[in-house]
Amino acid sequence: MQDSMKVCTGNFGKHAQSIEAYKKLGGYSTISKSLFEMSQFEVIDRVQRAGLRGRGGAGFPTGMKWSFVPRNTGKPVYIVVNADEGEGGTYKDHFLLLEDPHRLIEGLIIAGWALGARTAYIYARGEFLPCIESVNKALNEAYAAGYLGENIMGTKFSFDIFVHRGAGAYICGEETALINSLEGQKGQPRLKPPFPAVAGAWASPTCVNNVETIMSLPWIFSHPVEEYTKMGTPRAHGTKVFCVSGDVKRPGLYEAPLGTPLMEMLTSEEYCQGIIGNLKGVIPGGSSCPPLLPEECQNATLDYECMASLKTMFGSGAIIVFNDTHNAVDILDVLGHFYSHESCGQCTPCREGTGFAKRVLDSIMRGEGHDGDIELLQGISAGFGGTTICPLSISLGGPLNVYTRKYRADFEEYIAKNPNHAEPRLRPTVRLGAYW
Amino acid sequence: MSNHYNMPHLPTAKSPRVTIEVDGQNVEVPGDTNLLEALKAVGIETPHVCYHPYLPVSGNCRQCLVETEGPRGKALIISCFTPVKEGMKISTPRSSERVKNARAAVSEFMLLNHPLDCPICDKAGECTLQENYVEAGKDTSRLFPEVGKNYHGNPDHQFYDTKGQLRGGKRVDIGPRIFLDEERCVQCDRCVRFMRDVAGDEQLQLALRADKTYITTFPGRKLDHEYDLCVTDVCPTGAMTAKYFRFQQRVWMLSRTATISMDDSLGANIWLDHNNGYIWRVMPRCNPEVNRTWISNTSRLAFQQFTKDRLPVGNLDALKKALEGEGKIAFVLGGSATNEDAAALKTLVNKLGNRAEVFVGTFAPVGTPDGLSKSGDPVANRAGFALFGFTQTAEDLAKRASEFKTLVSLSADLWGSDASKAKALEVISDRISISAKNDETAKKSSTVYGVNHWSEVSGTMVNVNSILQKLNAAPTSPDAELAPLFSVLFALAGEDVTSAAIAFKKAGEFAPKLAKLSFDAIHSTGELLDGDAAV
Amino acid sequence: MSHITGAIQDVANNILSYSKGPSPVEVLPGAVDQCGHANKIQKQPTWGEIAPLLETADVKIRVADLLSRYPVAQGALLEVLWVAQDAIGWLPHEAIRWAADICQCSAPHAYGVSTFYTMYKHAPTGRFLLQFCHNISCHLRGAESMLQYARRVLDLKPGETTKDGLFTIVEVECLAACGNAPAMIVNDDFATNVENGELTLKPGECLTPERLDKILQWCRDRAAKYPKEPPREVLGGMVKGHGGHPGAPGATAKPQVSDYAPPSPVLGVNALVDDNGATLTWKGAPEFTEITVEKNTNGTWTEVGKPGVKDKQFVDPEGKIGDEYRMIAVSGTRTAKPSQVCKAKAAPPPPPPPEAPAAAPATAKKAG
Repeated sequence: MQDSMKVCTGNFGKHAQSIEAYKKLGGYSTISKSLFEMSQFEVIDRVQRAGLRGRGGAGFPTGMKWSFVPRNTGKPVYIVVNADEGEGGTYKDHFLLLEDPHRLIEGLIIAGWALGARTAYIYARGEFLPCIESVNKALNEAYAAGYLGENIMGTKFSFDIFVHRGAGAYICGEETALINSLEGQKGQPRLKPPFPAVAGAWASPTCVNNVETIMSLPWIFSHPVEEYTKMGTPRAHGTKVFCVSGDVKRPGLYEAPLGTPLMEMLTSEEYCQGIIGNLKGVIPGGSSCPPLLPEECQNATLDYECMASLKTMFGSGAIIVFNDTHNAVDILDVLGHFYSHESCGQCTPCREGTGFAKRVLDSIMRGEGHDGDIELLQGISAGFGGTTICPLSISLGGPLNVYTRKYRADFEEYIAKNPNHAEPRLRPTVRLGAYW
Repeated sequence: MSNHYNMPHLPTAKSPRVTIEVDGQNVEVPGDTNLLEALKAVGIETPHVCYHPYLPVSGNCRQCLVETEGPRGKALIISCFTPVKEGMKISTPRSSERVKNARAAVSEFMLLNHPLDCPICDKAGECTLQENYVEAGKDTSRLFPEVGKNYHGNPDHQFYDTKGQLRGGKRVDIGPRIFLDEERCVQCDRCVRFMRDVAGDEQLQLALRADKTYITTFPGRKLDHEYDLCVTDVCPTGAMTAKYFRFQQRVWMLSRTATISMDDSLGANIWLDHNNGYIWRVMPRCNPEVNRTWISNTSRLAFQQFTKDRLPVGNLDALKKALEGEGKIAFVLGGSATNEDAAALKTLVNKLGNRAEVFVGTFAPVGTPDGLSKSGDPVANRAGFALFGFTQTAEDLAKRASEFKTLVSLSADLWGSDASKAKALEVISDRISISAKNDETAKKSSTVYGVNHWSEVSGTMVNVNSILQKLNAAPTSPDAELAPLFSVLFALAGEDVTSAAIAFKKAGEFAPKLAKLSFDAIHSTGELLDGDAAV
Repeated sequence: MSHITGAIQDVANNILSYSKGPSPVEVLPGAVDQCGHANKIQKQPTWGEIAPLLETADVKIRVADLLSRYPVAQGALLEVLWVAQDAIGWLPHEAIRWAADICQCSAPHAYGVSTFYTMYKHAPTGRFLLQFCHNISCHLRGAESMLQYARRVLDLKPGETTKDGLFTIVEVECLAACGNAPAMIVNDDFATNVENGELTLKPGECLTPERLDKILQWCRDRAAKYPKEPPREVLGGMVKGHGGHPGAPGATAKPQVSDYAPPSPVLGVNALVDDNGATLTWKGAPEFTEITVEKNTNGTWTEVGKPGVKDKQFVDPEGKIGDEYRMIAVSGTRTAKPSQVCKAKAAPPPPPPPEAPAAAPATAKKAG
């Protein structure tokens, strides 16, 4: 893919961190009279016509999300950039912030104009200190150049951007948890409604967007809409930054149009250049997505609809490849540890259940598994379904269910390591049913 | 913890009615409340742990799940957070296997890391988890020993027990009145919300996250607040237990008497939990118009003094004799006296004619309302006394003390409230005390006569908001010979009245507002008296 | 009610006294006192010990800058905790209380927050905190063996610090460097290699035992070169020129004026005339509260109707081919510019003609 057609990563490797270099590469061209003559509606309409969908994982149309933000409520509107990426396999925001911070600022100014926001926050996860340094340096330059602050370029529009450093909580990637964290509370998801678009940060209308979503805006506004809609599939336009990791020859960030075949991404010279070993499975959208078997991968394309038809998720575009030297029990155990560690501890099923699943998986890993443990895991997964505020429990529940079905042989092999696996477990003797 | 700005809207008698479909049947429910309360109003109980009608909705226990049918198909929702809407379709476990399974799953998750120590837990018998598990839980356990438990607890309090299991903190001394058992905590967040949003002093917080979450104060600080014992009420499990009640009684052994706390003119509604002739604890009794479900430590722990320093029954004839003769008599009616006592006094005063005057209250200062269970006025029945025309206070008496020859204090501890002010009363030569307690005033009196304490009498009082509330007698009188104050006063007036109902009828003769009501028909949450708008 | 068991009358002093009833149960020592603490208890410094570190001019400037960014002081809590951790090296309880005071929240709240997030350190660590990712991508590429290697080289058990106080190893969840799996962070820097005396994270470069040795050597060299870790801005450097959040203490920013942007026009009006008259369709926006349709009669614009905003159709029964229409939208208190003028065209006949005269929508001017 040509650099000029890359929506987000066009400046990668070109040392675009400084404002001079960025402007030389065509940056800040959209922050001009033509933007400031557009009304809010026209900006949102343009994003809607481009068909930009949120890049954080859910794929919700960005223009529609913006149009939900009420106007003239008397309360300020906030834009919050979600740079709390922490899902296993996702690392695009890390390098997007590091390599091209000015593009984020440019995108934010466009978004700020569209939403009438006065203040924007970039919520970066705590581990991203190098990225925060890069962004803050860029912010300093942008303020000095007059792209930010009071009355930008002589208009009535004033806009400030702040970076908020998180401190280590995966769940803050959920937008209401992120807002809570921004407010100086624990990052625990809120009950909805009200939705953040109506009452988010400090009970004001708030729009939470992914880094990549915001960084797509400068390209969309500096090119005709048709050029953007030309890329991708009919229902998902544009490009996506894919983060490939795991057992491939050249893992890395690759920007490709939506709808690119999965196998092309994994094997072509332009992208990953092939798989190490024999393919056993591919997790297409970050660790919470159910994996695809090799035969399912053959015809899969990288877009929201195809992944949904394969009963998995496109997610954040984090493709994790694993070969047959890895065991599904092992992988699921890692996921169990991750999600039980990152549960915010609010809802009972997630707080206790993720740890329960982890301990069951640990016992299988230790060689203490019993027949019926697979059903037990699936039963725990069933208990997560729809019972919690946010989808973190399902992020483990989905894999629990799918790994145990797709790689059942692995689990049986591990359980068989317990010489007594066929004997019933030592049961607690209380059986309430007998008494009540 | 997140949404601490949404207090549940509770249904009232005036709530608009809407029709919703529950399990395929149309049901008319209050329309301005949440689903949980609406279902409760029509007799469908929904198990819940974190929801509390007088705390902001947190929605974290997920026990109260029901299924709704929306535009996007059927979905599980928590009934405590969902407002009722006309025409909504709800499925409860009766019709939906999915809800049944989900509730069972949540119940299982809730108990996964909860210790099985019900036999030694003070909450057993009134524990929400027990109730929910019996109703919604699975009948078999899937918690296998190999899988193990992960007890919640402060890392600083964790220890290894004799089986090598890592345990959370047990009997952690979290404050002067409360012990904390960290393992039993189910992180429902109720106590945090109570302290933060109701008591207004955030002293508790959940620390850490995931299945390591534990409840704590700021390290090194104690939980200490005038209302801190309420956290033991709101705690659905045995995590927070009151020191005064620990290991005193099994809750199923206790009987409850509904009465009114007569130490404040708001008249907090309470339960007296008694067994074997003793009060073992005092619990708040829900009254939406009065104290909701809160009660101050002072009112709650006052019962410990009820049976101490009591006066024995005296000689009625001696009392009669003391009231005879010339010279003015000042009756001082204590704040905890009921309307019946006031009616009896009115009868007696009428009989004595110009010789007698009535004053109410003691020298205890009047404070300010705390917004929860106290109005600040220690004369609990001041509004009731006003119905009988008793409005002069003890201060008035102190100014005119020289006019009187005899002082009769009726359950009014004048010297105990402010001895320096009461000194002015010492010019009155004959001092009589008719009281439950052998207090300072009784010690200053020449004649004493013991009566029942207010916890042992039936009667009525009118609180500061003109709500007529009913006291019931707890069977905890230390001596069967003791009689209520009103029957002693009636006896002095030459009438034989031993029943509160009859005394109430007599009260109606003096106070027309009371005449419209029948003693037995007074609702447990009180009756708003005619012509007085609640404040 | 009969006489209560246990109550006896003390005739001598006219008092009833009791031999039974509620009585406090003797309290056993706490469980940890009997069984021993499972975890090491961190000794906490007093306020006097940490005050010199926190009450510096530099910290004051940073805190003032942070407080100016948020409408509510509590918003700065996470950042202020970072500043405190930076100044002290970890977060003692007194520092949490200090942060709570600054952010006007309760100390228990700040404690809950500080323990919720994993990057706040509640005990001191070694000078170099090596955070090894052991999440899925790194696990697939051998994170476990890397961890074991590091432990072996440094002779460390989990949670321990080396004797020289240099290294502490922690396992962390995804670091968002999965392309470099297995990856690690040294203090605040991602590192999979050392080049020219700098820690680097180059695309595709993953951690190997040799590179880890280089990184450890880099740490040792640095410790030898600088006896104390050179100061590093914990929040990525101060940004100059911002006005803060309107209304926050120390902020100069004013709220956004509501008319900062041009008013919204109605876009894409299209009028087709058939037997019923002219039917106007348009692409509206949800932000509008009212729309007015105007018609050009002899050079002046007159209102012909207010269709509202919900149904996106307006029929002018009088409409003829060639009539000119425009629309004015109102959003809240603001009135939009009139849309572009649209000339009514004949509607295509019901069966779709081979070449429908696709009425060019009167779109708003193109931006960009």
